[in-house]
Amino acid sequence: MFTITPTPLDPSAIREQVLDPAAGGFCAFEGWVRNHHQGRAVERLEYEAYPRLAEKEGNRIIDEAREKFEIVQASCIHRTGEVGIGGLAVIVCVSSHHRDAAFDACRYIIDEVKARVPIWKKEYFTDGSSGWVRCDHCAEHSH
Amino acid sequence: MTILILAGGKSKRMGRDKALVERPDGTRQIDHILDLARQISPDLLVSTNSPQLTPPGTPVLPDLNPGDGPLGALASFHQAHPDESVLLIGCDLFLLDNESIARLVESHESGNSATCFKNRIDGRPEPLCAIYEPASLARAQGSIDKGDYCARHFLESLDPNTLELPNPVALDNANTPADLDEAFAKINHGVSSKSVKVLYFAKLREERGLDEETVETLACTAAGLYDELSFRHRFTLKLDALRCARNGDFCSWSDPLKADDEIVFIPPVAGG
Repeated sequence: MFTITPTPLDPSAIREQVLDPAAGGFCAFEGWVRNHHQGRAVERLEYEAYPRLAEKEGNRIIDEAREKFEIVQASCIHRTGEVGIGGLAVIVCVSSHHRDAAFDACRYIIDEVKARVPIWKKEYFTDGSSGWVRCDHCAEHSH
Repeated sequence: MTILILAGGKSKRMGRDKALVERPDGTRQIDHILDLARQISPDLLVSTNSPQLTPPGTPVLPDLNPGDGPLGALASFHQAHPDESVLLIGCDLFLLDNESIARLVESHESGNSATCFKNRIDGRPEPLCAIYEPASLARAQGSIDKGDYCARHFLESLDPNTLELPNPVALDNANTPADLDEAFAKINHGVSSKSVKVLYFAKLREERGLDEETVETLACTAAGLYDELSFRHRFTLKLDALRCARNGDFCSWSDPLKADDEIVFIPPVAGG
């Protein structure tokens, strides 16, 4: 299941979603907000999503992971709103019969979520400036 | 008055020469424009540095300095025909119609420095379907010499006679394959105003200053709608950096828009 939420993430709650008696392995990825990006000091991040499509696309990614890898359960939850340094932005949890599939599926899900799901982040730097990640560099200014 | 057809553009963003694009009925765009022009006047010239594009026997006006753009074509025309006025027509006007050209010609008086239409979105004068008097043409080279190659600035500096478009989309041009899909959709399905809901996120939300709005549009495709909105609101993100969604799922830029659709333009995503 893929979920978008404006409230702080609880790793134990999402871990519980993938518990299964048939599973012998578990793998999780947590994305944390770090205090620097490309050499600049970051104060906090703000995430924004188009929830209707984000949840649809996120669930497609989880379905793809089920088809590609022999996993038992998979779940992903992503924050919206302001997240401070050290805060949890995203968690992926996967359980599987054997460990390889859990590692591979976890990696697949986070990579695809970052590339495809309509979620955006704005970085607020300690110098007071801010910018939308991956947007500002492709903006053009016309006369 | 001579009609000067501009077919010298590089068509970089289209990826192929716009003059040679085949229209939905199979005619080449250059032949279509020549045909429209002939219905107004037999005195035609094509501004191009690739004369092989034009049908045999069509008079060609080479640029004095290739690469100077539309103003260069006007200056070249003035040097060759210093006493003549000119009706300039861009070759990439896929929706141009006879009625619009006829309106321009009827409305022009020799006392006008130039006669043109207002852009349907921002109301500014449109330089690439306009009539210029010799005294105005004489100033084109000066503008180039000052380094200002912008045909719109030049036309504005002439204080032209500006007209409302009789057919609002007549001057919608096409610079990219997505623009062309939009133009062909308008040709094939006709133009009607529809109301759609647009949601804005992230950088676009900030540039628009709104989360969502209901928009009246003449666009037939999502690409055409983005073109209208980005022109109106000066969005800095170009279409090829975005994806689009219609009614809650990703869609193709060329998907037809329907009344009451919910449209989202998706800036580059950055989850995680």
